Amino acid sequence: MATVKINGKEITVEDGTLILDAATSAGFEIPTMCFHARLSKLASCRVCLVEIVGQKKLQPSCVTPVMHGMEVLTESPVVKSARSAMIDLLLANHPLDCPVCDKGGECELQDITFKFGPRKSPFGEEKRRFHEEDYILSPVIIQNANRCIQCKRCVRICAETVGAEVLGSIDRGAGTGETSFVKEYLDCDHCGNCIEVCPVGSLMSRSFRYKSRPWDLKGVDTVCTYCGTGCQLTVQARNGEVLRVISKPDKGINHETLCARGRYGYSFINSHERLVTPMIRKGGTLEPATWDEALKAIKEGITGAIRNGGKIGGIASSRLSNEELYLFQRLMRVVLKTNHIDSGSRWNTGAVKTFTEVMELSRGGVSIYDALNTDTLLVIGSSISDENPVTDYMIRRLSQNKKMNIIIASPRGMKLDSSAALTLRHRPAAEGEIISGISRVLYDKNADKLNDLSGKEPLKSISKENISSLTGTDWGRIESAANFMSSSNSVTIAVGNDVLRGPSRLEFLNVLVGALRLLGKEVKLFPVFDRANQRGAWEMGVHPAMMPGYSATAGNGLGCEGILEASSRGEMDVLYVIGEDIVSDFPDGRFAEEALHRVKFLIVQDMFLTETAKMAGVVLPGASFVEKDGTFTNQEGRVQRLRRFLPPQGDAKADWEIIAAVGAAVDPSFNYGSAAGIFGEIKEAAPMYREIAFESLDGSGALIKETNRKGTDLKSVPSVASQMPAASPDPDYPFVLITGNHLYHSGRLSLRTDILRDILSEAIVEISEEDAKDLKVGKGDKVVVKGERYEATLTVHVNKRSAKGVVFIPENFTDVRVNMFFTKGEGLPRVRVLPLTGKSHGGGIK
Amino acid sequence: MLSEGAVKEINDLTGKYANKRSAVMPALFVVQREYGYVTEEGMREVANILGLRPVQIFEVATFYTMYNKKPVGKYHIQVCTNISCSLLGANHIVDFLSMRLGVKVKETTPDKMFTLSTVECLGSCGTAPMMQINDRYYEDLTKEKIEEILKGLK
Repeated sequence: MATVKINGKEITVEDGTLILDAATSAGFEIPTMCFHARLSKLASCRVCLVEIVGQKKLQPSCVTPVMHGMEVLTESPVVKSARSAMIDLLLANHPLDCPVCDKGGECELQDITFKFGPRKSPFGEEKRRFHEEDYILSPVIIQNANRCIQCKRCVRICAETVGAEVLGSIDRGAGTGETSFVKEYLDCDHCGNCIEVCPVGSLMSRSFRYKSRPWDLKGVDTVCTYCGTGCQLTVQARNGEVLRVISKPDKGINHETLCARGRYGYSFINSHERLVTPMIRKGGTLEPATWDEALKAIKEGITGAIRNGGKIGGIASSRLSNEELYLFQRLMRVVLKTNHIDSGSRWNTGAVKTFTEVMELSRGGVSIYDALNTDTLLVIGSSISDENPVTDYMIRRLSQNKKMNIIIASPRGMKLDSSAALTLRHRPAAEGEIISGISRVLYDKNADKLNDLSGKEPLKSISKENISSLTGTDWGRIESAANFMSSSNSVTIAVGNDVLRGPSRLEFLNVLVGALRLLGKEVKLFPVFDRANQRGAWEMGVHPAMMPGYSATAGNGLGCEGILEASSRGEMDVLYVIGEDIVSDFPDGRFAEEALHRVKFLIVQDMFLTETAKMAGVVLPGASFVEKDGTFTNQEGRVQRLRRFLPPQGDAKADWEIIAAVGAAVDPSFNYGSAAGIFGEIKEAAPMYREIAFESLDGSGALIKETNRKGTDLKSVPSVASQMPAASPDPDYPFVLITGNHLYHSGRLSLRTDILRDILSEAIVEISEEDAKDLKVGKGDKVVVKGERYEATLTVHVNKRSAKGVVFIPENFTDVRVNMFFTKGEGLPRVRVLPLTGKSHGGGIK
Repeated sequence: MLSEGAVKEINDLTGKYANKRSAVMPALFVVQREYGYVTEEGMREVANILGLRPVQIFEVATFYTMYNKKPVGKYHIQVCTNISCSLLGANHIVDFLSMRLGVKVKETTPDKMFTLSTVECLGSCGTAPMMQINDRYYEDLTKEKIEEILKGLK
């Protein structure tokens, strides 16, 4: 510890604390410009200069650590005049076009000039001027380099956090400007984080430009509803129209960062396609109706089914709030007396159960910062750079300051590979086998210490040759992964939702974790989800085998696949679907569509008339995330508040209100008046939520607590056969098709936002560099991807690091119904790829 | 396109450094030699060979004056105008060259033979005033000496 005196005030801080931080905690304000808490230190602007008593020269406080006994002055006359001079130098070339600059009112340079800056300048020379008109740098960025103050925050965040490395400092001295390569259109993540950290109006948001002054905006701090990372964001609107989304450095695990969809995926809120009134099918077509009429129709449909002892089921999206999901399962289980409920339509119900157990989700939340404070990180089952971009940013940023071995096991190459110590490219759906291989190596090396390992018997039956041929991964790499873990004191295993797409040998994760723990390693498990409230959905009991808080249910409920099978046999009397487009998402689109046609009474509640909603008997208009209150539980197990700040469009209602109304229509005692009230009931039903206070949840949310110390062992985890496609390729269909979210999109919702559509509006097909060479195609060429039941013409993207023989098509687009390639029960489809002659064309990438 | 030899040369350069990125500067000299100046295409090729983003090459190329971002004449005359040379009349040298070649600083003669540039210190203060033509230094300059030198450049 070091005791220092700042402006006469004594303060004791950790050794190595920066003067800037010490002064801030002592209550003094030191202005900064190039400094940014989570970026490398540059100390180039010299605005943060302070006087250290006994030293002749002023020192930049943003890079100078305190020393015991140091006396620092931040407000002495010499500091004040130097600071003012430094600001004057920044202003010397700054155009001072504040009246027409977008940043006016929230500009850091404006603020510090007002507070600390000179009132007069001796610099009368002509200012540096790079260009007359602002230039467009990307679909989301427009630049005015004349305003640049050369702080390099954008360059640093792009390289260090985002990993895109597309911005640079061009030229030298006073002539330096930040821009892309020869000012070309950026090929990057389009995350806009460079705009967020720009202290002046040099990098600007194209969509927000000239739309509003910041003080005319009304906003709300809420949580992003795209992926499971759970970023905090601030939605700002003027006259009821959402104009932008920003991130704040002091809010949330994401701080200033967001991804493209978080930052630009908001315009669906004000979309003209939103459902604004309930609809009832009359004579084959859906006609607008009042809420009373819709609820009456639902009451008749449901009570009729109950009277006849019919089957009732429900499928809810994992983008609904905890309150809605809890209320949904309560409606299903208590009022409608059924266990046939599920969240989402893409996951295998059995794999979900195994996953929640082997990932020890019932043991409470794990902060991502704790999870990443580790010697070795294994990321498996997730295209994390594409599906959870901000989780990717956090891993990249934190791995730079710390020795962390990152191991990435995935069929597809990804941006995070460049930060990895080891990559394991494996066949799709071979995650369980990779984990079993690593476990086997660990066991062989430490057999004497692993006598008590539960699950060692199945391990012994694993052979090196067998695993290598099943996974297509070189055994040496699997050994290296095990060696990284062996030589670490702590290991974090991040498992993504790709392992839920079918049955997989996930029970081996339990063996691996058991082995590592017996070897004295600290093991943390970190789930990675592509839907914002996937974890919450399970914790609220929206699963046929799990009650709220992961307690087991009695009776045999059906999951999504079971419900659709029952439907296809004509056995489903009522199916209530909220926010889930089953026809587009279920991996066998044809089957899903046919099955839903045979549901006697289909109720669909959604914001849009989806393919599934088009088939419904009654359609109910739900609300967007800024139109309702509630909580979300992110992949860490962090509960965060969703805050209502706009009224729902038209006659739409918050989804929990609709569920409550549907329940009350059937049973008047089903009475719920507020999201906070429902949360109170959740605290009783799911004990891990007991300590969370709905009203006081702030920007950092609250982690759910462990309530059940009992770990899982292999005996309680059902062994499931893998869905892995045969190792020997079929010469007619040499590729395996995998699906997932594209970097710029999430589910189908993001396609309803114009900015994200401007970035990418049509499906692409991603193939490995090796396959591209063999097929003689390159980026932008068109190919036909042919499966046994479906084919599509798509634009090629080449992924340099992907495994050969793997084809990826995103799930997010309507032009290609990727789920039509799938046949229920047959695992991942095999396809062939045929180049189209007559190359080159516009394509979907603008 | 860089010649096969040039690509090999850049690849060989990477072997000299612990980090491939360190080879950016010598690789840019290869590009300059191959194309006559640092071209956009050349920078992209270097990025590709070194596994970097093009902007990372662009930053280096624009920072240093030794890399010509525009075509130069057959003979690139770079006159030092730093302090020692200036004290000994570098400005007169520049004016004389400008008059003699009929171009201003940063310009190239219409026959593409000569480009005139001014540069910062070339580390030859002991023999100031001086200039560099392509890879060679010419020192203790006088107008007469420059006449001689120009005559020899055809």
